[in-house]
Amino acid sequence: MNDDNSVLTDSFRRLVADIATPERTRTFEAAPALEPVWSALAASGFLDALVPEDCGGAGLSLASVFPLVMILGEHAVSVPYAETMVARALLAANGQQAPDDAAIILAPPSPILPNGAAATHALVNDGERIALVRLVGVGEDPFRAGGATGIQIGDRLCDLPADGFDLGLAAAGLAAAQMAGAMSRLLSMSLRYANERQQFGRPLGKFQAIQQQLSVMAEQVISVQVAARTAMSGHGFNVAGVAAAKARANEATHLVNGIAHAVHGAIGATEEFDLQLYSRRLKQWQLAFGSESFWAGQLGRLRILAGSATSADFIRDHLCDGAA
Amino acid sequence: MLTVDSFPATRIPEAAEALRPQIKAFLADRLAGMPASRRARTWSGFDADFSRALAERGWVGLTMPKHYGGAGLDAFARFVLVEELLAAGAPIAAHWIGDRQSAPLLLHYGTEAQRQAFLPRICRAEIFFCIGMSEPNAGSDLASVRTRAVREADGWRLNGQKIWTTYAHKSHYMIGLVRTSGTPEDRQKGLSQFLIDLSLPGVTVRPIRLGTGDTDFNEVFFDNVLLPDDALVGQEGNGWAQVNAELAFERSGPERIYSSLVLLDLWAATLRASPSRADEERLGKLLARLAPLRAMSVSMTGLLAQGQSPLTEAALFKDMGTELEQAIPGEIADAVATRLDTACDPELMRTLAYLMQLNHVFSLRGGTREILRGMIARGLGLR
Ligand SMILES: Cc1cc2nc3c(=O)[nH]c(=O)nc-3n(C[C@H](O)[C@H](O)[C@H](O)COP(=O)(O)OP(=O)(O)OC[C@H]3O[C@@H](n4cnc5c(N)ncnc54)[C@H](O)[C@@H]3O)c2cc1C
Repeated sequence: MNDDNSVLTDSFRRLVADIATPERTRTFEAAPALEPVWSALAASGFLDALVPEDCGGAGLSLASVFPLVMILGEHAVSVPYAETMVARALLAANGQQAPDDAAIILAPPSPILPNGAAATHALVNDGERIALVRLVGVGEDPFRAGGATGIQIGDRLCDLPADGFDLGLAAAGLAAAQMAGAMSRLLSMSLRYANERQQFGRPLGKFQAIQQQLSVMAEQVISVQVAARTAMSGHGFNVAGVAAAKARANEATHLVNGIAHAVHGAIGATEEFDLQLYSRRLKQWQLAFGSESFWAGQLGRLRILAGSATSADFIRDHLCDGAA
Repeated sequence: MLTVDSFPATRIPEAAEALRPQIKAFLADRLAGMPASRRARTWSGFDADFSRALAERGWVGLTMPKHYGGAGLDAFARFVLVEELLAAGAPIAAHWIGDRQSAPLLLHYGTEAQRQAFLPRICRAEIFFCIGMSEPNAGSDLASVRTRAVREADGWRLNGQKIWTTYAHKSHYMIGLVRTSGTPEDRQKGLSQFLIDLSLPGVTVRPIRLGTGDTDFNEVFFDNVLLPDDALVGQEGNGWAQVNAELAFERSGPERIYSSLVLLDLWAATLRASPSRADEERLGKLLARLAPLRAMSVSMTGLLAQGQSPLTEAALFKDMGTELEQAIPGEIADAVATRLDTACDPELMRTLAYLMQLNHVFSLRGGTREILRGMIARGLGLR
């Protein structure tokens, strides 16, 4: 990451921390509504970060917005901000414009659509095309985390050719990046807690068993972050990158959530304590846009079909930064 | 603190990538006909002639400056070279230690005379090195080494014992970590590194056989060995810091993720005929773990090239990487033994059996899981 990028990231992190506070997340969970978070985030001007400059956007690359998407996950943002960024860029690239106040989810087939509960619009598959539709209703929110088990579609506002853009890939890629963010929040909370909470006369973090568990957690989190970063390092989302990132994120969630809650003990499970805001969302993301087995299967098939002489060749051609 | 930013996104520069086709062509020719079960030994496979053939092409000591006989290329070029050697399963053990860590150590800490005396010979694959760190009572607790060198009028008098010294019986020199002052209770203080000529009187090397039947490592005894003055590497008493600099090289490279790659690819090739959904998922899960690890290794290559020493990062990478290398044989065994009505290809069986019997050492050599996790915990601010 260059310096410009880290300035951008730092200011976005402060902004999101101010807007998407845990208190607001709790209020949102009781009754999902776009406001006040949506307008405040929209005012930041990042919604058009990916829109090409000649269409009035910032023209940033997916790689530059990757840290921003992680930050959304880090703060349990439950409105479809990252998804709207990608949707607006796609629409703009096709000469279309999203309604100004549209909060757009990407809605490929999936048992659950995180960030869907308060969305106003969706991009959906429609044969060979992708359509922007208004939502007239959403399904249940079984995790109480702003997700929706389905959508009811109203007006169709416009459509565009699907060539070169796969809704399912983009949705899973953004999911992996937000999961990476939620995991890094769980890690930092767990480290802080281990240093503060005392048992047997010393901080938990002084016990080797706890140290070893937190080290494993850090390994898992960093591996997911690196995989998600790779998935967002090219011009678009590609199958191998997304498959590895979402498979990794889903698989790691088991360990990462498990260790975070183990280290926190009972307090971590309470409504009052913030930990569950992130761990419940991670579990919701696990169900969205393809499981670890689904994506691992895609990746394995690709490897077999690609016929690369070695897996090192395969990774270099399909799974390293900028391969797309 | 240790985060994803500790591993900056890094691409291998074009200049380094340009080497890859030549290396592939050389290996395709040179390794033609070598069975996978032998190629699976990769950096445990010792073949001095192979190392010399690489050296003739300038591919040993690639990162050493030209005036010391090296190719003067950067760490990325070495990454490309090593990745190809490992992926192909080339037998690179002979020059491996000298190339990976002894030459950089001497370049960094050695005297000009030591550099001139040793680096060109390492680059020509004339002399091979081994690592003398572990002792019978100093494994994980490396700082408690007892082998001792005492200064005398004409050099240093060395007494003690090393163990688990990989290929000491085929090496010319050991870089040994020994005590030069104080007692084992002084821990990291008072340790120094020496260049030990294994042909000197008083040195006895006794091979130890592994359960696999291979002889990879040894006990090395020092009985009143007289080392010349100039056998000291770097500063007296600075051994601990120097060893740690070496460990960043030792733990960050692709050999910590590719030890089972030949097997993985042999198995993947058998799937082309009749892939099952379960096999595809299994393969995909392994690749999903492998890809971010490779990115991390490339990233650390960049850090090393900038002169940094990513020791904690390397600990994290090595712990995860060896866990994956260890998992691969078990996963493939599970896959193979699921198809009870399909005969297992004999070469796949030989390769699988070899790695299934060896994989438990992957997380021991170069520092154990528990020790690495302790380092990670420190990097996370827990200790
Ligand atoms: C194939 C192979 C090649 C090797 N090559 C070399 C070589 O070339 N040169 C060389 O110097 N060495 C070499 N080694 C030695 C290697 O570095 C040591 O095996 C390793 O450092 C562990 O030491 P140990 O075997 O004495 O085990 P121990 O240190 O006795 O450890 C045994 C177990 O106890 C655990 N343990 C130890 N201390 C702690 C602690 N404080 N907290 C929690 N758990 C702990 C360890 O993690 C391990 O699980 C090689 C080893 C192998 C297997």
